[in-house]
This record gives sequence, structure tokens and C-alpha cells, in this order.
Amino acid sequence: MEDHFIENLGWVALLLPLLSAVAITLGGPFGARRAAAKISIGAVALSFVASLILFLYLHLTGQPALAETSFPWLIIGKYGELNNLQFNLGLQLDTLSLVMMLVVTGVGLLIHIYSQGYLAGDPGYSRYFACLSLFTFSMLGIVLADNFLMMFIFWELVGISSYLLIGFWYHKPAAADACKKAFITNRIGDFGFLLGILLVWSVLGSVGFASLKLEAAHPNHFGPVATIAGLLIFCGAMGKSAQFPLHVWLPDAMEGPTPVSALIHAATMVAAGVYMLCRVYFLLSFPGSQALEIIGWIGGFTALLAALIAVQQNDIKRILAYSTLSQLGYMVMAVGSHGPTAAMYHLTTHAFFKALLFLGAGAVIHAMHHEQDIWQMGGLRKKLPVTFWTFLTGTLALCGVPFFSGFYSKDSILAQALKNGSYGLFIIGVLVAALTTFYMARLALVVFWGSARSSAAEHPHEAPGVMLWPLRILAVPSVIGGLLFIEATFEHFFAGGHGEAGTITWAEQLLEPLNASPAAALSGIFAIMVGGAFAGALYWKAASDPLPLRLGWFARAMRNRFYFDELYERVLIPATHELWSRIAQAIDRWIIGGLAVRGASGATEFAGRALRLVQSGSLQTYAFLLVAGVAAVIYCLLAR
Amino acid sequence: MLTYLIFLPLLTAVILCFVPRNYAFLMRLASLAATGVTMLLALAVFLRFDSAPLGPSSAYKFEQQLNWIRSLGISYHVGVDGVNVGLVLMGAIVAFAATCCAWEIRNREKEFYILLLIMTGGILCAFASLDLFLFYFAHELALVPTFIMIGVWGRGVDKNLATFQITLYLSIGALVALAGLIALYLRAGAQSFDLVTLTQYAAVHPMAVRDQNFIFPLLLVGFGILISLWPFHTWAPLGYGSAPTPTAMLHAGVLKKFGLYGLIRIALPLLPHAAQAWAGTIAWLCLGNIVYCGFVAMRQRDLNWLIGYSSVAHMGFIFLGIASLNIIGVTGAVLVMIAHGFLAALTFGLAGYLQHTTGTSDMDKMGGLLRRLPFLGGALLLALFAGCGLPGFANFAGEVTVFFGAWKQFPLITVLAVWAALVIGAVYMLRAIRSLLHGPVPERCAQTVEDSWPLRKLPYVLLLVPLLVFGVYPRLLTDKIWPGAETVLASVHPSEQPSPMPAVTPKSTPIHRAEAKP
Repeated sequence: MEDHFIENLGWVALLLPLLSAVAITLGGPFGARRAAAKISIGAVALSFVASLILFLYLHLTGQPALAETSFPWLIIGKYGELNNLQFNLGLQLDTLSLVMMLVVTGVGLLIHIYSQGYLAGDPGYSRYFACLSLFTFSMLGIVLADNFLMMFIFWELVGISSYLLIGFWYHKPAAADACKKAFITNRIGDFGFLLGILLVWSVLGSVGFASLKLEAAHPNHFGPVATIAGLLIFCGAMGKSAQFPLHVWLPDAMEGPTPVSALIHAATMVAAGVYMLCRVYFLLSFPGSQALEIIGWIGGFTALLAALIAVQQNDIKRILAYSTLSQLGYMVMAVGSHGPTAAMYHLTTHAFFKALLFLGAGAVIHAMHHEQDIWQMGGLRKKLPVTFWTFLTGTLALCGVPFFSGFYSKDSILAQALKNGSYGLFIIGVLVAALTTFYMARLALVVFWGSARSSAAEHPHEAPGVMLWPLRILAVPSVIGGLLFIEATFEHFFAGGHGEAGTITWAEQLLEPLNASPAAALSGIFAIMVGGAFAGALYWKAASDPLPLRLGWFARAMRNRFYFDELYERVLIPATHELWSRIAQAIDRWIIGGLAVRGASGATEFAGRALRLVQSGSLQTYAFLLVAGVAAVIYCLLAR
Repeated sequence: MLTYLIFLPLLTAVILCFVPRNYAFLMRLASLAATGVTMLLALAVFLRFDSAPLGPSSAYKFEQQLNWIRSLGISYHVGVDGVNVGLVLMGAIVAFAATCCAWEIRNREKEFYILLLIMTGGILCAFASLDLFLFYFAHELALVPTFIMIGVWGRGVDKNLATFQITLYLSIGALVALAGLIALYLRAGAQSFDLVTLTQYAAVHPMAVRDQNFIFPLLLVGFGILISLWPFHTWAPLGYGSAPTPTAMLHAGVLKKFGLYGLIRIALPLLPHAAQAWAGTIAWLCLGNIVYCGFVAMRQRDLNWLIGYSSVAHMGFIFLGIASLNIIGVTGAVLVMIAHGFLAALTFGLAGYLQHTTGTSDMDKMGGLLRRLPFLGGALLLALFAGCGLPGFANFAGEVTVFFGAWKQFPLITVLAVWAALVIGAVYMLRAIRSLLHGPVPERCAQTVEDSWPLRKLPYVLLLVPLLVFGVYPRLLTDKIWPGAETVLASVHPSEQPSPMPAVTPKSTPIHRAEAKP
């Protein structure tokens, strides 16, 4: 009885946001439009409570996972026969998914509340909350999916709900273009993902994670295709988590409302790729597979590339966007160096402080009357005290300053790279840590210190309480996230439940990085100091950016995102799709439509003219044809 | 029950012939009532299908047989199994929705409604028939009104060319298919057009492989022209762009599926050897639809042409499912047929409405319509999402099933098809959304307002609901379809053990395996 309740609680947590989206959409005439925010917030709050109960239940009973509850979604053929296909919808409730669920619903809840203030008075208020609920539902679906196909379904749904949210102000051409770009780029990743699923299914005969795990443990023929299958599945993560070369959509997606950026681009959607990699880690780390190596390098490259680009951006949200890209690269790099624990750890802490930073940026933008250029701001420290302090907390956590949450998770990644012997990735990691400190210090110094650089910056107004409280609440886990036993929990999970959990104390946690891997921790701290020193020297009370003068073309390249968008728009897309579609259109119009069809109609017309000769109106001809016809019929009948 | 369902629209058409032409409202009401009751009957058939008793031939339900032309072995024989029960339901719903959308017809209503009802009856009869002759006859009954409707009530400047082209094309296609059917009748040697008799006879006396290989291409080309198989597709966009909205809905949604249904119902069980031999060719040809027509669709600036090309492209997935010749692929193909029926009718209905309110179908001249037309814009948004294969709509379930079915036989082709489904489809659908629904509102659309009359919205809701219901829970369809697909494929794989599951005996990795040789 109790078990049933617990098992169904997962479904409740999943379906509540969907119910809220449907209720807001269909219930417009019945007053649901005005209550949209309350319905939506209520749904995600209840989901959060349900996840919390599930997590505590799992923790207290000490089980590795709750029993999967699934039902068949599509069945073709009899079970056990050849050519049968069965897809289930089922929930996987284990530590990994439940922690992720807590992050999604917890951070999501705060963002929902914040949105109520940020979006107040917008004509699309109820539509916004409907989309937000739909998004939460899709994201929870990815987290809870117990098989590849269900994950793919929700993967696509996340894609479409992010499309709706990024294009929320669809009357603005920039937003309309950005959402299109985001969805299509994601679709390119999904293409690889679906092929990966097909390949895994055809070799291992299943799409369910549990049965795949069993199947992979037995002797099988997955070895030869393990690398390619792993990379194809990684394509999906490449799209969602915006890894190079599919990273171009994320910065453009900043056209959406700022809370959306916080939700999608910090805590949930972009994290889905990393989560998926950790979920199917047993396939990626299959003996003989080279996939992880390549994944690690792609992650490292993305981290470095995005950090360099972030150094020369001037839009407050874009700096944060590239920082997200860079941090995601970090997580992917961690997966690639055989450290799903480190990746999930950083994912969790990053969700807190990046959501905090985005929401803080939203408060700044709100205060500045929708001005986003940091060189129009300045001296906001005194005028926006709450925003300033919380933003500063987030910044310190992101830079990985000791004893903030980011320090522990970042150190965990660096230590993992060292342990795995990936020294190249380790060096990249340290470099990126320095760059991160540099661009975040630049952002904070320019926005909050110095003097006001525009009239809007002289008279900003602090955001209302409904927006400030989420900031205060998020600041707490951003600081103490490293002491919450998150790493131990994940370590326990990825060790297959064999490791010992919960044996370290708070105090040991506090200094754990220095004890476990002093080299990694010290180089991380050194990187922060270098980055911070450079930023301080350059941007302390700077009136304008000194870097373009000093670096010349390199700064220009960084500001222009190393010309990737231009490369795609002017070369790659024209050379592939546009060219082919022009050719196909020309063939269709001139060859098939023109020659062949005109030819056919010409022939018909010719036949028509020929037949008109027969219809001469002369009675003799008709009689002759009639007799000839009858004769032919008689011949056919009798001659056989 | 099937007979009532078929003859209700036809009888109403006959009665309308005797109603004076100035009672236009009455005619509209009668047509709505007839198609509405037909739709309810089809729904009842669909819901009662599982519990209905098997007919005399013990393969079909709701079966009924009456002799028609005894000397040639032609009979009126109808019945449904899993393969066509969903199609009948889809046809009936689309017919009612199309009748609802016929309000835009303002001249010669009498003739229009009579033709529409004949078309409805013909379509339903074609899908329910179990007799080759009846099958063909009913299709012609539905097809000929299409030509007249495009010619008389058509839209646009290319109306005459479109009528000419579509008539020519489809008549040739139908003739080639007829030739194939007659050859089949002669060569099968069963002296009967009855599908059940033919199948039973063929199980004992299989047709010579040489004959099969001769007849199959006739059917493939004939039906292929009707379905707009590449390269016989150019009639479709032009024809649909010029057809009046209800005709486009019925033809693109339902009648076009006739050729596919014929391939599944007739060609696969009766010509199993040829089907295997030609499967590779079909699979390659379907790329012409999926990839090539997808590329062409990317360049269209006219909404009707875009939808026309995209519907041609979607036909490719069905072909791919058929070509895979296994139960997964064929089930997926039937699922896509049903899903696409609703989808095509929905998009053509909405496009017709947009053209009616804004006076243009040029996408460059429209914009921001989501703001002006919240309901219709939203419906169009959902329809275009469904068109790019979004989960939650029945199209996704069908397409993904087709991919799973085709993957082992045709890995390379499946890769290209997946690319087209996920990327090319998204590109042209999202471009349409971008220029139609998003962006600022141009001058000419600034005054556009939505019709507040709820009945105008009814057809779109009726078409959206099944797309979503079957998309969220496809088992409502697939549980019915797959046993039917198994029967159809029984003669293609008589031994039932062509290649075991790779998990059981993993001999080769599919990625390295060569294409199945045609």
C-alpha cells in the first residue's frame, strides 16, 4: 500500500506540471488566465515536495533505487518473437534521478516565483506560465525516463518548449530567429541521438536502461560499434548541452526573458545533456570504446573556446551565456575523463550559482530599464545592495573561490582529470579556471564598481521582493553546496552502491580537496589568483575596455565569437542545405515539371489530334471501323 | 454497419439531386448531418472493433458480401481488419471536417455538396472493400469529383493548368493500376476479384515469379503516381494549391492513401516474391520523396505549395515502412498514413482559412498572425510542429516506428530519412512559422480578426484531437494494426524465420552490413 503510494508519487511529480500547462491553456475562459502564475507555481512546488519525499524515502530505506513502474506505450508483434518492438513509459527512481529532480524542481520553483515579478504586466503572462509548466514537465520526463525512447520523446519536448520560451516575445525578429536557430541546432544533435538509439537497439536488442545494463554485462557484440554508438548518443548531448560545434544556439537564446535564460540555460535544459551522459555512462565506458576520450576533448575545447569568447562580450547576459557554455564544457570534460561523479557534482552546484547569476542579471536589467550593455552600467553596488551581494556570491562560487560550492565541484573535476592521467585536459581546466575568474571579475567590477556610465545607471531601482527572495535563497546553496554530501551521494551511486556513503564529517568535507588531491586544489587556487589579479589591474575603475587596444585582432576575434556564426551562416548552411534545395527546386521545376510533364501532355495532345482524324463524321469510316473492330474481337475469341 | 457508413453519404447525394438549388442552407445542413452520422458510425466501428465477431471469411470483421457480377467473380464485399479500421475512421473524420470547411464555397453549392458526398462515400468504400474491382471502382468514384471540383471551384490563376495536369496524371496512374489489377486477376487464375478468395488461392497455387515481377511494377507505378511517389509527384503541390479547401483536405488527407493501401493490401500478400525483389528499389525511390522533396519544400514561399511538398515528403516515410517488409515497418507505415491523413487535412484546412481571411497564400506577405488569430494561429503552430515529427503527435509515433522497422534492412537509407525527418523537416516547418506566425504584423494583416463563431473552429479541433490522442497513446492504433500487418506479411515471410533478433544470435553488426540487394 505504502509502496504503491511511493511509486505513484513519481508519476504525480511528473504529471503535475503537465496538468498545470493544460489547465492554463484550456481554462482561459474560466479564470485560469489570471491565476496562471499560482497554478504553475503550485504545480512545481508540489512536484518539489513529491521529489523530496521520494528522496528521503529512498535515503531512509537505504535502497539503491525504487522499483521501476512502467507501462507499454507501443507494442508491435508478440513478445519474444523476432521483429517485435516494445516501447515503455517508465520511471527510474534512483539517487541520480532524484537528486536531479530536486535540482530541477527546486531551482525551477524559485525561478517560477521570480518570473511572477519579472513578467508582471506582460500581455503573454498566462502563455508564459503555461510554457514554463510544459518545460518543467518535459525536463522531469528526461530525468525520470527509464529507457532511451522515452528520453528521446522528452528530449524533443524540451526542445520544443524551449523553442516556445526563447521565442516568447515572438514579435521581435531577433527572438523569432533565435528560437528557430536553437531548435534546428538541437535537431541536428537529435539526429545523431536517434541514430545512436537505433544502433544500440539493433545490437543489444533493447532500449531500456536496465536491460541494456544487463545485456552489456554479458558477452555481446557491442564492442565493435561501441565507439560509434557512444559518439552518436553524445551528439544528442552536444545539441542540448551546446558543445562545440553545436554551441552557436545558446548565446542567441538569450533573446528570451531572463528567468527563462536562468531556467533553461543554467539549471535544466543544458544540464540534460550531461545528465544523459551520466545516465548511459555504462555504455560510454564500455571496454574498447574510444568515445569517452573524444568526448573529453570536445568538452575541454568547448570550455576553452567559450571562456575566451566570454572575455570580450559586453552584454551581461551573453557573458553569462558563454560562461554557461564553458562550464558545460567542464562537465563534459569530466565525463570524458571517467568522472561522472565530478560531472554531476559540478552540474548540481552550477545549477545553483548560475541560476543565481542569471536572476541577478535579470534584477540588474530590470533596474536599468532593459539595458544590457555592461559599459552603460557602473557603480550599482550601493544602489542595488541585495542584488550586489547575491550576485557577488554567485560570482565567487563560479570562480571557485575556496569554501564556496564551486571550489569543491571544480576541484573534483580537476582532480579527476589528474587521476585519469589526462594531463592535457587538466591544463585546459586550469586555464579555463583562470579565464573564468578573469571575465567574471571584469563583469562584476564594471557593473558594480566604478562610476555610473549612463543616466539609467544613476537612478536604478531595486527589484521587488518577489524577485529578491529567490536570489537570497539561491545564495545559500551557492555558498554551502560543497558541504551537502552531494559528491559522496553520487560517488555511492556510480560505484554501483558499493562505496561507503556518509562516513565523512562536515569538517572533513571542508578541507577535502586539499587532502584528496592537493596538486589540483592548489593549481585551481593559483588560477583564480592569476585571473583575479589581471582583471583587477585592467578593470579597476576603468571607463572603457582596455583589452581591444592591447590584444588587437585577437580581441576582435573573441568579440566576434571566432566567426563561428558567420562560418555556419555564410559557408556551411549555403553549401549544404541551401545549395541542395536550390538544385532540387530547379530540377523539379525545369526537368520533372517542365520536360517530362510537358512531354507527357504534348504526347497526349498529339494523340488527341490523331484521334480527331478518326472522328471525321463520315459514316463510311465509322462503319468500317466498327466492322474491323468486331472482326478483331471475333478473331481473338475464336482463334484461341 | 460498414454498408450504412458507405451508403449514407451516397444516398444523401442522390436525395440532394432532387432538392431545388436555392435551398443552399438545407443542403449544407444535410451534408453535415450525413457526414456527421458517418463519422459517428466509423467511430463506433473503431471502438467496437476488438469485440466484434469475425466475419464469414474469418479474417475480417463487420464483413458483408453480395454478388454483383457473378460471371467475372465480382462482388460487393466489405470488411475491416486492423489495417483499414483506422483508415476508415480517419477518412470519416476528415470527411466531416472537410464538409465543415465547405462554408467558403459560395456558388453552385448544390453540385459541390453532391460531389463532396460522392467523394466521401467513394473513399470509405475504397478503404472498406475486399474486392479488387469494387476497390478500384470506389476509388474512381471518389477521384473523378476531385477533377471537377478543382476545375469549377478552384483557386488561383493556375486553376486550369492544375486541373489539366492532375486529371492527366491521376487518370494515367489509375489506368496503369487498373492494367496491373486486371493482369493480376488473369494471372492469379482464381477467376475471382475477391481478395479473400485470391489470397487463399495464392497460398495454395502461388503465382509464377515471372508474372509477379511483371505485375508488381505496374501496380507500383500506377499506385505510385496516385501517391505522388518520386518522380511522379509534381501534380501534387500545384493541384492542392489550386483545389478548393475541402477537396484538398479530402484528397491529400484520405484519397492519396488509397495507393499505399493498395500496395499493402493487394501487392504484398498476392505478389510476395516481387515485393521482396522490389523492396530495395522502393526504399531508394522513397528517398526522392523524403530528402529531395524536403529540399524543394525548403524553397517554397507559398503556404499551399509548402504544405503540398511536405505532404509529398511524408509519403516517403510510408514507402520506407512498406519497403522494410516487416511487421514493425508496415505497422509504422499504416500509423503514418492515419496520422498524416489528419495532419494534411488540418494543414490544408487552416491554409485555406488563412488564404480566405488574408487574401493571399504568399508567406512573405503575412506575419505575426499568432497575435491576430490566437486560436487558428495556435492550431497552425501545432499542425506545423506535428509536421516536423514532434512527439505527442501521432506522426512521431509512426515515423519512429518506421525507422525502427527499416533500420536493419536499409541502414544507409534510414540515416538519410532520419536526417530529413529531424532536420530538413524542422527547417521548412520552422521557416513557415517564422514568416507566418512570428515577427511583426505587416500592414495588410493588421485588420485580420478571428471568426468568433465556434463552428468554424470545430473541424480543426476535430482533426487535432485524434492527432494528439493517438500521439500520446499510439497503442490505441498499433494494437489493432499489427495483427493485421502480420496477416498481410504472412505470405511474404512464409517460413516466419528470415533473420532472428540480433540479441539472440548477433551475427553481423548492421552498420557494416550492405544494403539488401533488390
